[in-house]
Amino acid sequence: MVVAVSTSWVVDMAFAVFGMAAVLTGYRVFRTDSMVRASFWLLASFVNVGLILVLLNARFLGFSVVLMMAGEMSVMAIFMVMLMMNPAGLNPMTMVHQHRTSLAAGLLAFLALASVGVLVDFPDDPARVEPATVTAELGAEELGDSMLVFQTAGATLLATMIGSIAVTSRRGRYGDAEQGSVPPPLRPEADPADGEGAA
Amino acid sequence: MTLETVLVVAAALVGVGVYGALSQQSFVMIMMGIELIINGALLAGVGLWAYSTGGSPKGQMLGVVILTVMAVEAALGFAVMTNIYRVRKADITEKTKRLRG
Amino acid sequence: MPAWLAAPPTVAFALAAGVVVAACLDAAVGDVVAHRVPRWSSVVRPWRQAAVVALQRRTSSERPDRQAWALAPALLLGLAAVMLTVVPLAPGVAVADVPHGIVLYGAAAATVLIPAFLQGWSPNSALAMIGGYRMFAQGLSSMIPFALVLIAAALPAQSLAVGEIVASQQGLWNVVRTPLGLPVYLATVPALAFWGPLATPAGRDLAGGIDLEAAGAQLLTWRVAQAGVLVGMSAVGASVFLGGWAGPLLPGPVWVVLKTVALLAALVAMSHLVARVRIERFVVLAWVGLLPLALLDVFLTGWWLL
Repeated sequence: MVVAVSTSWVVDMAFAVFGMAAVLTGYRVFRTDSMVRASFWLLASFVNVGLILVLLNARFLGFSVVLMMAGEMSVMAIFMVMLMMNPAGLNPMTMVHQHRTSLAAGLLAFLALASVGVLVDFPDDPARVEPATVTAELGAEELGDSMLVFQTAGATLLATMIGSIAVTSRRGRYGDAEQGSVPPPLRPEADPADGEGAA
Repeated sequence: MTLETVLVVAAALVGVGVYGALSQQSFVMIMMGIELIINGALLAGVGLWAYSTGGSPKGQMLGVVILTVMAVEAALGFAVMTNIYRVRKADITEKTKRLRG
Repeated sequence: MPAWLAAPPTVAFALAAGVVVAACLDAAVGDVVAHRVPRWSSVVRPWRQAAVVALQRRTSSERPDRQAWALAPALLLGLAAVMLTVVPLAPGVAVADVPHGIVLYGAAAATVLIPAFLQGWSPNSALAMIGGYRMFAQGLSSMIPFALVLIAAALPAQSLAVGEIVASQQGLWNVVRTPLGLPVYLATVPALAFWGPLATPAGRDLAGGIDLEAAGAQLLTWRVAQAGVLVGMSAVGASVFLGGWAGPLLPGPVWVVLKTVALLAALVAMSHLVARVRIERFVVLAWVGLLPLALLDVFLTGWWLL
């Protein structure tokens, strides 16, 4: 049995790099003009978090995050280009509201959570498992004691699939989903429902 | 790397996510903020698993559940967004002042 | 020499050798399919083509995303290297036979979508970007069957380590034990490596698609990286489905190389023999055909194990 998380300086350095990169790339998401770039910055943030998870010896979760997010960010980039104005970021633009309030809220959330992390005295009981058995334990847990949780997650995903298909279906019981919808107004402050600015 | 530093990084991710989710106008960018918040939660959970639970597999189980939450959030977010665009032709929050149908 | 110092040159050598073999195979198979006798000159042809591409003048489109454009080939090359690290040459001999090798490989294969989209998106050119979209369409629809057959192959080994998966096939290879695995794998690899019948992102109907605006060293690196991904996917396929180092007479590493080259030859032959598939048809095929087949593969393997 070894302590799961290595304490060598290499791991410390790697953690410092990945941690800073995760936060910085996460911040870049909201500081870029291009929607596609934003989704790839977010992917970079996720990859860095995945690498930290690998350092923490939760390799299966770490690799799964990368696997999942590569697919999800692809979908996100498609949606970006489909729905957004200025998807390629050719014209600099900011699409933000209540900027100061959100900045304050973000800072407040960070300070509150970080102080909880630093000040609360969590039990010092590091994981002592062989790297190879961590995933085997997770699998035994999923299909053993926590099977109900695991099955609930599966049922939730199934419900999500059915729900999203139902929500996005074009034809519904009360007719076409696009019936009565109007193009966006030319002036941003105009009421979309009045059809002002419709071509 | 200690539990404190991991939790601080997780808190920073949540903070950036809160800022993004509150400040952005476009639906997809708001979803990105929410994803970052969940990302921070995942990191904090796994950090606590590694340092404070003696390696109980239930800690990793929580990570799996958080990944599920992320998938559900993304799928339903995209679905609602598609529908709002169909019905209102709206892609930013300012265009949906009235949520009543 | 410490192991971590030896790893990068080993991977680089394997990648380079694999890419050269892929290029020579491509030339030779092209000759055979065209009813020409393969000559030594046909082995020289890929080198000449590479030199022509490398000496091209670097072109530029209007306001490209230069960083992303430079990043795309490097990222793809890195992913190909990651794929090769998990391949074991003999029991316990791999650059990184990590306990979750097959998950790492799956993550690398899924991430291939990102550089391929970036290659099409960053030049800021319409046809190239449509190529990037096609990559997303075919990649997202083939990713799930691709991952499922890998999981089915890992089931008998009761391990996610590629070395363990190979070791579990010493009696019976997975190509027999999970008969649906290799066909589905070979059907999804061209989609993820945008190769052969599924080279639609770089299709001629898009005037070159994601390669349209690329030229010079960038395009050469891109092509090399794409071949590297193909080599990596062949090598993992040979380990996971064809028993890796198992085989009579010859030493284990030789068998790994032979099987990898065999799968590579099959993929290269596919690009010469199978007609280009229309992307709409492939997406339907992937969701309606390949995905149920892959699920069936998982169920059958589980049933066989019980």
